[in-house]
Order: sequence, then C-alpha cells, then structure tokens
Amino acid sequence: MNTPVTTEPAGNERLVVTRQARLTAKLTTHVQTVAVGGVLLVLLLVFAFSADQFLTVNNVLNLLRQIAPTMIVAVAMTFVITSGGIDLSVGSTVALSGSLLAIAIAAGWDPTLALVAVVLLGAAIGFVNGWFSAYHGIPAFIVTLAMLSIIRGTALRATEGYSTPIPRDTWVVTLGQGRLFGIPVPAILALVIAVAGWFVFAKTPFGRYVVGMGSNAESLRRSGVAVRKVGLSVFVLTSTAAAVAGVLVATRLASGSANAGVMFELEVITAVVLGGTSLFGGRGSIVGTVLGALVLGVIANGLVLLHVSPFYIQILQGAILLLAIFLNQKIFSRFATRT
Amino acid sequence: MSQRESTTDRIVMRDIRKRYGMVDALRGVTLRLGPGEVVGLVGDNAAGKSTLMKILAGAVVPDSGEILVDGAPATYTSPREAHELGIEMVYQDLALCDDIDVAGNLFLGREPRTAGGLMLDERAMHAQAREHLDALRIRIPLTDLPVRALSGGQRQAVAIARAVTFGPRVLIMDEPTAALAVSEVRTVLELIRTVARRGVSVILITHRLQDLFEVCDRLCVMYEGTLRADLDAHTTSLEALVEEIVGRGHAA
Repeated sequence: MNTPVTTEPAGNERLVVTRQARLTAKLTTHVQTVAVGGVLLVLLLVFAFSADQFLTVNNVLNLLRQIAPTMIVAVAMTFVITSGGIDLSVGSTVALSGSLLAIAIAAGWDPTLALVAVVLLGAAIGFVNGWFSAYHGIPAFIVTLAMLSIIRGTALRATEGYSTPIPRDTWVVTLGQGRLFGIPVPAILALVIAVAGWFVFAKTPFGRYVVGMGSNAESLRRSGVAVRKVGLSVFVLTSTAAAVAGVLVATRLASGSANAGVMFELEVITAVVLGGTSLFGGRGSIVGTVLGALVLGVIANGLVLLHVSPFYIQILQGAILLLAIFLNQKIFSRFATRT
Repeated sequence: MSQRESTTDRIVMRDIRKRYGMVDALRGVTLRLGPGEVVGLVGDNAAGKSTLMKILAGAVVPDSGEILVDGAPATYTSPREAHELGIEMVYQDLALCDDIDVAGNLFLGREPRTAGGLMLDERAMHAQAREHLDALRIRIPLTDLPVRALSGGQRQAVAIARAVTFGPRVLIMDEPTAALAVSEVRTVLELIRTVARRGVSVILITHRLQDLFEVCDRLCVMYEGTLRADLDAHTTSLEALVEEIVGRGHAA
C-alpha cells in the first residue's frame, strides 16, 4: 500500500468486478456441497413421510451408528482423493483389523493393547501403500488394489474363514455398542474425526499441501514442499481410519470377521465423490464428504424401512457413484473453470 | 571476456556438464553473475538454457561441475536447498496451483503460520499478499480468488511476484513475458530493473530480444550445450546478437 498506484481504474469499477468475482468464486467452490445438502434434505423429507419408523430418535441414532465407519474413512479418503490418489484397500483393512482384534482378545491379549496394536497395524498398511505410490511413483490405484487382495487374504488366513466372537464384558465392545449422553459412541467418534479432518484440511499447511498436490504437484515440489511425505501421509490417514472403522464394526457386532467390509471402499469413495471432491485431485470438501456419507446412510436405512430388497441398495449405490462422477465431470466442473 | 571470475561474484557456475542418455545437454558451461547484474541468457531451442537454469535453481542435478554462491562452493540437490541460498526461479510453464487462491500461491511452501506453526495465518497471508502485489503494481483485485479464475497475464504476474516477494539474491526468469499483454510486459521489465537496483542478480531467458536490450547488462549466448559468447548489452547491436545466436560469424 506504500507505493502510489498510478494506473488504477476508477474505484467503483474495481469494486464491481471484485464483488462479482468473489461471489462467483465462492459459489463455484461450494456449489456441489450445497447440492448434496439439498439432496439430503429431500431424502429426509421423502422418508419421513413414507416410512413411519424413519423419524424416530432410535432410528436416527441407529442410522448414525451404522454410517459412522463409512464417514470416518470417507473423511480420510477426502485427503487421498484431493491429493490425486485413491485407496481401494480400506475395506480389506476393516476386515483385517476387526479380525485381528477379536483373535488377539481371544488369545488372551489385554483389549487395550490389542486395540492399539490393530490401529498401529493400520498405520503400517498405509505406510506400505504410500511408500509404493508416493516414493516410487506406482499408481495408487494398482498399489492399493494389490493391497486389497493381500490384506483380505491375510484376514481370511488368520481367521480360517470363521468369525471370532469378542466377549461382551471387554470394554472395547462399548466402542461399537455403547452410548455417551444417549448418543452412540461411533457417531461421537465420527463427529470428532470429521471436525478434526475439516480443521486439518481447511486450516493447516498440511491440508493446503494436499490440495496443492492434487492441483499441481510439480509446482508444490518446486516450492520446496516435501511432496512425497505429504503423499505418504494421506495413505497412513486412510489406513489408520480404516483400522478404527474395523474396530467399530467388529465391536458393534461383538465379532471379528474376515468378510467384513466387502465393497466398503466403494461406499467410501461414493460418499467422497458425492460430496464434491474431484477424482482428479485439487478440489475437495470435508463438509461435502460428511453430507455424502449421510445421504448414503439415509438411503440404505430408509429403503430397509420401506422393505425394499437389500440387493437393490448395492445397485443403487453403484448408480449413485456413476451419477455423482458424471455430474462432477459434466456439470459442476464447468462452474469451476468459468472465469 | 567478462567470464573472468572475481571475488565479488554472486554466482559462479564452473564447467557444468549434463547428459540425458545420448544427448549432451550441457558440455562444460562456465557462467558468472555479479550482484545486481541483469544477464540475458539467449540461444536457439535446445541450446541448454533451461537445463542450465534448472541446475542453478536446484531442480536438476548436474553430472559434474561446481557452483559457487558468494564465493563459497555450494552443493545442493533440491529446489528447497536452492531457496535457502536465495536462488529463486520463475518457471516457463507457470508453476501455480490452480485450485489455491492468489495469496496461497504467493506463499506456497512458506505460509505465515499461527498457533505455534500448526495453523495457516490466512489474515496475515492476505494482508501481506495485498501489500506485495500493490508494491509491484500488479493489479489483481482479490487475493482470495483461486488462480484458475485469473487471466494468463495475471497468472504470470502472480508467479513472478511469488519469486520476488521473498527477497531472493538471484532471480531466474524463464520467458517471463511470453504470455503477457504489451502493457504487462512493460510492468515486468520495470519490475526487473527495480529488483536489480536492490542488488538482486537477475538471469533472464527470453526469445523477445528487444526486451533484453532494455534491461540487461550482459548477454550470454548459448549454442549446442556450450556458452559461445558473452557480450556487453550496452555496446552490442541486435544484428550482432542474432549472428551469435544462429551461429554465423564463428563458422567463418
């Protein structure tokens, strides 16, 4: 401000341009988040009128408990996808962490120790994913697809295909089944993780670099940012989140199974894409992801209450993913590129 | 020849070599640069200008050769280390993140932080961005617009501002005026003069030869991976420069 600006256009002209540009910019960044919020509202209204049981306190709390694992992993997945990657191995990690938790407790491990070990194992899986994709440039799609098979196989081998019960008197069962102030513990955990995820994504240098990586990784590298570390960290986030989700699923059912979390990755990715995060990286929204996860949860829950065959839910979920990507590509990206 | 080294040189690059497979990109180039000096680096396509400058900026590691910064031998293998030595580069291909706003791009990798380094200090970032842009007379109304919403000229201006605002000792510009409107070219050339007056050494790569005579002190001509000529910009004619670039005059 200390240098006199000689070639300034008339003050009010600049203001007009400014207001329009700012409005357009704000609108374009958030248009899909607003849209998915609208979809959620419509769904809530439809099911509230068509299914008697839908708007009961019990059902809503139950819905939140069921969608919590998806939401937790989806928040982490938002980081991976925004950075330009993808993690297909989360469903298998859910199965492995739940299975090993149950097996360890059955083998006489202290439940707390078993819990910590399982979450650390999740972080280690993410480290492997990140090492191959971020440090050696192998496409994340292939790395995590291979890991999907490896981890699921490990879980099946460890359990020999049987589910392992978790005794209901171990404290970890409260993680899946318990309530705090009447609210299911998984829902509280999901809320805490979503808020923390939003904070890191929007307010910290790490979140900024995740966006930068998906936007122009070479530019970020030239700016002196340790791009590979950022690229590895996001995979540690998803795998750790998946391990936590596996614990929630297993303790909710009081049983660890190697068949848990089949197609879980699809549900998570659908929630993220539905929320407006671009599969090509650069654009992401944690709020959108949370809303996207809620939409999926409401649909699944509402259709069950309407006695629709659960097989349709899977068909619908795939269709939603396809539609979300289509809209993201064809409609919403047009807002983003308009200048 | 002014390639003779002196103790006050800001940068000395000595016998730099770089091969890419069968291609000899640089075949022993020696270049010196004084404080506050503006050197134009010219040459045909594939003469090795960009490779030489990427080496100076730390983006490419040479096969052999030596770099001295303010007389001290410097070995660095990353842009980050080059930044720490005060060497900044504005890249030809507009190295900006489209999805990040203007202020965020200006401070990318060096964001002002608060809460003990945990959080981005957005307010400080936008205030400082405004100050920097105004000081450089770059007209961008909003610093919270994503860069993708800007014109080509505005984007180039942001890229240059990003390099200038951190007080570099050496500023390398690779075709900084290629994408700009005529009035914006004037702004950039004026900007280069201002920066050089503050003691910053500038290396300018450009195909717009008329720009070189406006701002440069020396003109270095590269030809097939070697430094072929080092001319005084104040006494050299445009014709003589073109002769050197295309290779006539030497063959004779």
